[in-house]
Amino acid sequence: MLSMAWMNLKQRKLRTSLTTLGVVIGIMTIFAVASLGEGFRGEIKQRMEQGFELNVLIVFPGSFTAGLREGFSQKDIEYIKNVTGVSHATPLITIPLTEEVKLCNETGTKLGAFTIGAVNFTEMMEILPQRFILTKGRFPRENERGKIVLGYKASVVNETIVADVGDNVTLSMPALPTMSTSNFNFTVSGVLAKGGTSGITNFDYWAFISIEDALNIITKKDKPYQIILVKVSNVQDADRIAKEIEKYFGSYSVTVFVPTAFTRQVNNILSLVQMFLIAIGSISLIVAGVGIMNIMTVAVMERTREIGILKAVGAKNRTVLGMFLTEALLVGIIGGLIGEFTGCLFSYGLAQILNNFLQPNKTELLERPETQSIKLTPALSITWMIIAFMFAIIICIIFGLYPARKASKLNPVEALRYE
Amino acid sequence: MGRVVVPALRGVSFDVEEGEFLTVLGPSGSGKSTLLHLIGCLDRPDEGEILFEGRNVLILNDDELAELRLKRIGFVFQFFNLLPRLTALENVKIPLALAGISDKEADERARKLLELVGLGKRLNHRPSELSGGEQQRVAIARALINNPKLVLADEPTGNLDTKSGWEIVNLMRKLNEDIGQTFIVVTHDPQIAEAADRIIYLKDGLIEGIKSISR
Repeated sequence: MLSMAWMNLKQRKLRTSLTTLGVVIGIMTIFAVASLGEGFRGEIKQRMEQGFELNVLIVFPGSFTAGLREGFSQKDIEYIKNVTGVSHATPLITIPLTEEVKLCNETGTKLGAFTIGAVNFTEMMEILPQRFILTKGRFPRENERGKIVLGYKASVVNETIVADVGDNVTLSMPALPTMSTSNFNFTVSGVLAKGGTSGITNFDYWAFISIEDALNIITKKDKPYQIILVKVSNVQDADRIAKEIEKYFGSYSVTVFVPTAFTRQVNNILSLVQMFLIAIGSISLIVAGVGIMNIMTVAVMERTREIGILKAVGAKNRTVLGMFLTEALLVGIIGGLIGEFTGCLFSYGLAQILNNFLQPNKTELLERPETQSIKLTPALSITWMIIAFMFAIIICIIFGLYPARKASKLNPVEALRYE
Repeated sequence: MGRVVVPALRGVSFDVEEGEFLTVLGPSGSGKSTLLHLIGCLDRPDEGEILFEGRNVLILNDDELAELRLKRIGFVFQFFNLLPRLTALENVKIPLALAGISDKEADERARKLLELVGLGKRLNHRPSELSGGEQQRVAIARALINNPKLVLADEPTGNLDTKSGWEIVNLMRKLNEDIGQTFIVVTHDPQIAEAADRIIYLKDGLIEGIKSISR
């Protein structure tokens, strides 16, 4: 039966190849889109995992709904530390650097920092062991004062080092009532390793001092902390802990950034986009299916006499049905295989083109970490290969069934009379 | 004007003996072909019964009828009805393939039978490369390949010149005598009808007369 079906297909080369082409395009689209989508998702996921420590929650005072609130107190931090599942909680004070508030080296050159963060160095190292690391120098000890740790881009401006370990830097800030400028001197203790990737915990443009030093600089001392970093022991507990923190402060009084929730959502959106594109690909496969139905209906009409002969010499209805279904199946198998092969090539080609588009604009003034290029690599998965192949076969059989049934039900006498 | 139902056969009853060579003679429109299709289980009558080897075939379903056509009945048509894409050998092998016989055995049997009908040298020719008489021989070989009890021929000489026509008739006659298969041949040619053991005259769907020929 197989060789007979194969012969019938070979008999009508052009028609068969056009029908098969329909299936090839459908499968190619589905497979390429699925592979690219999978690859893109993987890339984004990896990036997000690099960008955010998934086990670190970030707590901000206030919310978009209720507006910003004043900072957190030491008591708040102690509370969070005692929530079950929390391994660390450390505060952060930020001093934004502006035209007036400046961080300069001994020769008066501005450092590359955008903000000064006041932290407990030991706790920061424990919370972000992969990110809060030095490229040179050392972190200040617990009770050391007047020390500063620079982010990579804070230390290097236009590829020249503006402040290195051991150098003195000066923070100058105007005091409001008198507009007189106060100067605070720090010695560079260490320089952080280049973060590079996107994500919010990128410290390249930061400079860090101790909380004790910061409390001497800022005027507001009762609730000084603007951010709390919370490390959870188990990533699965992140949502629950976030809820508990929100409950403690009251509705909309804090915003807890949960990286897993964020990555989950991004992942969901990407899945949705991927499914949408696959659905579009599927439409082309259904169009191909209609093509198969069309071609086979014509073939049944053309071969009416042949069907009559076969039935007259003793072919059963299901033999005729099987014959036509085998032809449809062959188109499905061949189309599916070629489609997957071309789909592989197509996905790599498409990735190449898209990657050229995704290259960041090099002329941009600031080399921002977020503009790092995303590289698209198709992820060819066996699962998708099987799904696409099955889909091709199913479509071919479904659309081949009607003409094949029609052929099998032909009355032999009428079929023999057919010219 | 509505559809007018014209019965092709209006009460035809006769028996065929095993090993008999019977011809059905009648003008066109007399219902000969319909009769043959009914006997050959290709069609079902509105009324009446058809007994084959003592069994009413009309209670059988489509698949069982197909099985009967495959194994017990052979068909020869006026227009040969060979599959144009297949060679003579392949055409003869179709019923064997349908009966699930291995390709090797089928090949051997088909070759032998084609030699028997005198086409030993034309095995791998396609129908379009064969003369009408040769094509009809292929068709006869196809009809005989599964050793049927009954061979039905619908105007087998209708599309052939007189000489080839007679060759076919003589071939069928010879096979009937040598192998002992029952033949029912439909024709409108009185001379050819005379080659039979018995002639049934059919007109307007009724039997006009039956004539036995003793040899």
